[in-house]
Amino acid sequence: MVPGKREGAVMRYSLELALRGLRRSPWSTSLAITTVALGLAACMTTLTLLHMLTADPLPGRSPHLYLAWVDTVQAKPSDYDSLNGVTPENYFRIRMDDAQALLRAHRAVQQVALAGLDASVGTADGDHVQPDQSLLGTTSEFAPLFGLALRHGRSWSAAEDEAHSPVAVIDVDLARKLFGTVDAVGRSIRLDKAVFRVIGVSARFAPQPHFYGLDRWAFSDTEAERVFVPYTAALDAGLKPGGWDRCDEAADKASRALFDVDVARCEWLAYWVRLDTPREVADYRHYLDHYAEQQPLDGRTRQKAQLFSVAGWLTRQNAVPDNVRLNVWLAASFLLLCMVNVAGLLTAKFLRRSAETGIRRALGASRGAVFAQHVLEATLVCVVGGVLALPLVLLGLWVLRMQEQGFTDMARLDPAMFGALFVLALVVGVLVGVLPAWRASRVEPGLQVKSA
Amino acid sequence: MSLRMLLSTLRRHSLMPILVALQVALACAILSNVLFMVQQQLAPMLAPSGIAGDELILIDQMTPRQHPWSAADVRRGEQALRQVPGVRDASAAFGLPMVSGALMDMALQGGNGAKVGVNGYLGAGLVKTLGLQLVAGRDFLPEEYRDFGMGGVGNAPWDAGAPQPVIITRALAEQLFDDGRALGKVLTDPGDADDHGYRVVGIVRHLLRNQLSLAIDGRSDNTVLLARRIGSTSLLSFAVRVDPPISEATRTRVAEAIKREFGPTMKADVIPRISSYAERRANAFKSHRAALWLFAVVTVTVVVVTVIGIMGLTGFWVQKRTRQIGIRRALGARRAHILRYFLIENALVAGSGAVLGMLLAVLGNRLLMRHYELAHLPWRYLPLGALLMLVLGQLAVLGPALRAAAVPPVAATRS
Repeated sequence: MVPGKREGAVMRYSLELALRGLRRSPWSTSLAITTVALGLAACMTTLTLLHMLTADPLPGRSPHLYLAWVDTVQAKPSDYDSLNGVTPENYFRIRMDDAQALLRAHRAVQQVALAGLDASVGTADGDHVQPDQSLLGTTSEFAPLFGLALRHGRSWSAAEDEAHSPVAVIDVDLARKLFGTVDAVGRSIRLDKAVFRVIGVSARFAPQPHFYGLDRWAFSDTEAERVFVPYTAALDAGLKPGGWDRCDEAADKASRALFDVDVARCEWLAYWVRLDTPREVADYRHYLDHYAEQQPLDGRTRQKAQLFSVAGWLTRQNAVPDNVRLNVWLAASFLLLCMVNVAGLLTAKFLRRSAETGIRRALGASRGAVFAQHVLEATLVCVVGGVLALPLVLLGLWVLRMQEQGFTDMARLDPAMFGALFVLALVVGVLVGVLPAWRASRVEPGLQVKSA
Repeated sequence: MSLRMLLSTLRRHSLMPILVALQVALACAILSNVLFMVQQQLAPMLAPSGIAGDELILIDQMTPRQHPWSAADVRRGEQALRQVPGVRDASAAFGLPMVSGALMDMALQGGNGAKVGVNGYLGAGLVKTLGLQLVAGRDFLPEEYRDFGMGGVGNAPWDAGAPQPVIITRALAEQLFDDGRALGKVLTDPGDADDHGYRVVGIVRHLLRNQLSLAIDGRSDNTVLLARRIGSTSLLSFAVRVDPPISEATRTRVAEAIKREFGPTMKADVIPRISSYAERRANAFKSHRAALWLFAVVTVTVVVVTVIGIMGLTGFWVQKRTRQIGIRRALGARRAHILRYFLIENALVAGSGAVLGMLLAVLGNRLLMRHYELAHLPWRYLPLGALLMLVLGQLAVLGPALRAAAVPPVAATRS
């Protein structure tokens, strides 16, 4: 006989036996399947959310993206120590002077300064006004560096940055909403009171997490910047940055209102650079340190310059809430409980038919064959459990999306996690089956024949 | 029927009891952690607020269009609100219960040296407006108030050269002084040696802090009132006490008064929030309720899975020993003996599982604490989880044990 054929036959025979075994005690089989399904569903629901939240925000680009930070604020460092666990947020933004100096030096492959802004957006004639929109004030290299895909027109140039040109790139959704067409190049939009000329229309740009502006939002299905403008022109137009980190002491004294930023004296621009090789990263870090050292001291203790990779930055800012990871642990321990439970159920089930196993052993079935057949049966239970878990996972994700916590919008099953569910079910099946199958394969041939 | 015999049976057929014990251990570890998390979510919901919640409308998120509001603007606003029919009192405030937008973070040190983190509430006449119950001392005197505002101009300095008056809660008095007698004493700021500190002039029964995530472990009342009146500010909120029950008409009139007084100077795209304390409370605890539902589902599922698991395994084990039970019955063992045997056996197995579970719970908690923001699992939750598992184990084994006790002596003769 051809070896492959024989193996196929043995396999089919084992499968048949396993199926027959499952059908024999439908109650305990369905109990085991339900338990496995519950454990798998809990695990996969929490894992899916974690998977969505830890996805790469800009695949292909983020490995080369770094946030650069130099601290040149003229203020005493506050050794703020709260007994209430209140920590002042720090998004590692830099001052405009420093941003301009770093941009002029142009030491990285590409570099941009950016800041989130808020303004009402409408057509130049004052129609279709969308209040309170998120804008991004940035510099010319934003589109190539962050991969902002342009559908029509172009992005602006460094010269237009310098000239404070009132030009804008808007996304397709906004173009359609304002002008009823995707090709809005050449039209004008009004940001608060100032008129900007549309020079480009981009695809929707919404990386998750929103790593370059975590102060605005981290995860959102609905929020996105739809207008990109040179920050120099935005300042001229009277738009104010939505957030800032620290300010010179002089700025605090001069501030008129709580929510007004002194753009000359506060840290409000995030500075992102592209560095391709470890060598470039090391050189740039050195350059930043050197730049920081050159700044006047003014009686404050010097804080060093810093460079964060995208992954390091997301970890540093705790972008993924801790309880998402804690829930994965909770669900994993629940799955473990379910596995022990099913292992117990299966052991009882297998031992109930020791008599039959004994006969099979007496008729020449090897220990290995008995073991394999029982592992197969256990795996079948878990795979059916996995199929049953699928609707439960979808239900769990739906419940998650009902929560109004921003990041829960992301809870959706993608093909990768769909596949992971079945891999997990298989692995769980084999693991769960090993112990009961081993116990079943220990059944002695002779003894059982006697008592049967 | 000795314990030794019982143990030897367990040793000889060790797979089943090990599987039961393992299930109990895992369930115990999960449940004690979940119970602790339930308590963490529940504590702030159960904490007394100390205020007349049924009579309060809270207003916040008021931001000026351009220049900060002056102290006179704020006074005029308070007056306008007080003149609204149905309104008993109104205070501009910084920091209010269930309002997390304005947070004052303070540290205080008392007579016993303990450093306590507290939230401060500021505003003229808050004791009356919030309906707080003074249990000792007095309210602030009108001349004690000094101006305070965020992002405004011309605020009085914090340090007046002498301890400033403060009203604390009874729970704080007990945390800061061993004998709980805080009235007239001075509290210091542990972070600022030059500060003159605060003199306790009054003690209120309860006052819920507005940092709700910290309103746990007996810290829900870590709140103080400072003798500050809202002056020039860029961030304004009001507490308005009205006749109960809060009617829609009163609420509308309050909203109109705010619009009349502040509308022209208010930022257009930031809409002030005007809602009753009850609404704020319901909103603030939304995520807590969702978490509690999740924990309830987890608990029920874990309990059901474990009970079914124990029942299934014990049922099989009993069935396997039918003959043995028959022999013992034939040798004179009573039904009660058999029942007791299986109950004790289960208690032993579940007990050892529970001990392992307590270890697992602590180990898991410590391990997760190292990486995540997670509270320390207190020891008292461990026996709680273990006890729960023992009771569940006994309940689960009752059915199989009764079936075992029903085995007739004649079973010994069959196979």
